[in-house]
Amino acid sequence: MSTSTDRTSSTRTAPLWRLVAEREITTRIREKSFILSTAFTVLVIVAAIVAASFFQDRPSEKDVAVVGAEASAVVSAASKTPVAESDNLTLKAKVVDDADAARAAVRDGSADAALVPTDDGFRLIGKKSVDDTLQQAVSGAAARLTLEQNAAAQSVDLSTLESGTATKTQLLEPAPENAGAREAAAFVMVILFFLTALGFGMTIAQSVTQEKESRVVEILAAAVPIRALLWGKIAGNTVLALGQVLLMVAAAIVSAAFAGQGNLLADLGPALAWYVVFFVLGFGALSTLWAVAGALASRQQDLTSTTLPAQMLLMIPYFLSFAGGDAVREVVSMIPIVSTIIMPGRMAEGSVPAWQIGVAIGGTLVAAVLLVRLGTAIYERALLRTGQKLGYREALSIEGT
Amino acid sequence: MIEVQSLTRVYGDRAVVDDVSFSVRPGRMTGFVGANGAGKTTTMRMIMGVLGPTSGEVRWQGRPITADVRRSFGYMPEERGLYPRMRVHEQLVYFARLHGLSRQDAAARATDLLEHFTLADRGDDQLDDLSLGNQQRVQIAASLIHRPSALVLDEPFSGLDPLAVEAMVDLLRREAKDLPLLFSSHQLDLVERLCDDLVILSGGRLVAAGPVDDLRDQGADRYRVVMDGVDTAWLRDVGGLKVRDVDGPSALVDLDGLSATDLTRLVLDRGPVVEVSRARPPLSEIFKEAVR
Repeated sequence: MSTSTDRTSSTRTAPLWRLVAEREITTRIREKSFILSTAFTVLVIVAAIVAASFFQDRPSEKDVAVVGAEASAVVSAASKTPVAESDNLTLKAKVVDDADAARAAVRDGSADAALVPTDDGFRLIGKKSVDDTLQQAVSGAAARLTLEQNAAAQSVDLSTLESGTATKTQLLEPAPENAGAREAAAFVMVILFFLTALGFGMTIAQSVTQEKESRVVEILAAAVPIRALLWGKIAGNTVLALGQVLLMVAAAIVSAAFAGQGNLLADLGPALAWYVVFFVLGFGALSTLWAVAGALASRQQDLTSTTLPAQMLLMIPYFLSFAGGDAVREVVSMIPIVSTIIMPGRMAEGSVPAWQIGVAIGGTLVAAVLLVRLGTAIYERALLRTGQKLGYREALSIEGT
Repeated sequence: MIEVQSLTRVYGDRAVVDDVSFSVRPGRMTGFVGANGAGKTTTMRMIMGVLGPTSGEVRWQGRPITADVRRSFGYMPEERGLYPRMRVHEQLVYFARLHGLSRQDAAARATDLLEHFTLADRGDDQLDDLSLGNQQRVQIAASLIHRPSALVLDEPFSGLDPLAVEAMVDLLRREAKDLPLLFSSHQLDLVERLCDDLVILSGGRLVAAGPVDDLRDQGADRYRVVMDGVDTAWLRDVGGLKVRDVDGPSALVDLDGLSATDLTRLVLDRGPVVEVSRARPPLSEIFKEAVR
């Protein structure tokens, strides 16, 4: 009669793992460090989004000191040039008496730039530098106005002269709208995935080792099937991790909505939803590995080495997502488990073919089942071995106790 | 009744527990003694199912024991362990619920046990804020929390001061009145006082098991003779007995062919008698002899 078989036949497994999970959750959410780090992460997300939208596309107004009616007209027209409009830049002309007064205004900061007429056109004066958009808008407007005046003076029909000169740009593979913001979102998603999965993974491992270290595992093992302990620990921490991820996503959505990033949000919505799905999949697949790492260790210090396999499975895709080229990322985003980190980022940046998402999910599910099976076997063998650190192979070679 | 049948555990080529059989009967305290490394803890872990036997089995009420039955046992492992950073009362409730008690029942039971150990006011403290002695009390409470159907206690008295030992004994008498109770101990005087049955291990093998009274009677037929003012050295010349010790008017003899009646008659013939009585060897002697 082997004890592991009559343990699994216990009919009371379901409520037991729930009790274990409950304890994991209540213990953790009472920890100050947990509350603080969660609050801090949420705050950083909110702050980052608010700050980003504050600096990006903020309507700006710049004063230009002008001498003469012509310069004044140029500045007024400059606000309506495409380049100024796309950057939300409004230019205001401040009429001053002469070029010296204009220079003084720029020098003392009461004007961002100055436009003074010269013999062969205009001179744009800046203090240390002139804003690119301002410069393009002003020079564009100046050229246009002068051209129109010259054309009128020569009785030339400008529109006839210009006919056939228009060049329109067509992009075969246009970057999605808000490409920059979406890339940034993908970047943040990968980092948060990595940090959250690593953090909660280490929590699982530490909590298992703590039970070994404090020997409470001996009583637990006598009272509860070891599987129920494992399931409970995994379930509890997955719920916590999912809760934190949802909190982060909610914080991102709410702050983006308040910051007037509705368009971006609509683009990123599906990717955010998939991010949650992939996180649960990826974290779930790795969770047993973390528990096993905890069971193999006999002291907290041992975790550095026993958690290495799980850490590598997070670290490699993390680095690839930054260092790898598009082709590499496309391939890696379909490799089981590793895919869960990279795929949501890819989806945030642009559209991903449905079959690739399917491969990523299917592969991860299969890998998860295999890992959980193998992990459970090692966990059951290693948990009650105290005294020294075990290796993965060593643990597998232990006969079932 | 817990029956241990031919239980064996081999590590490598060393049998730590070798073909050990005994039973733990309900309503009787069974003491489990043996030198360090005799295999007591290994045997107890196998009874509790946290260690699988190499061969042999444990039976409960005549049938092979199941995980559910084991869950109903109370267990105190040799290496104590609870959650150090968890509140005492909450911790006891958790263990009670793991054993299947309802939340309310668990809470009432935890309060009751803490009161018995006069720890009622420490329920909200973290375990590691308690003294070691009090942590030990909580450990005992944890093994009793679910009103166990049997108790397996590995060194329950070690580390307790005399008062705590008495509180523990009271509690065990109250809680384990009709239960099979197996406990190991190095404190032979305590075992002698408490135990009805005894199991002695030596080097992984069973050397003696049974009621303490029977074990003590098993040895030589030993008698104490005390006379009034007469030196008992004359007993050395009597046949059919061996003198163990002579100290003036009192002597200790092992009968070897002579009957107790004959001995009494001889003593009476010799002079005034204070006492002729059966001398049962103390447990420590049985133990020493058994493990020799």
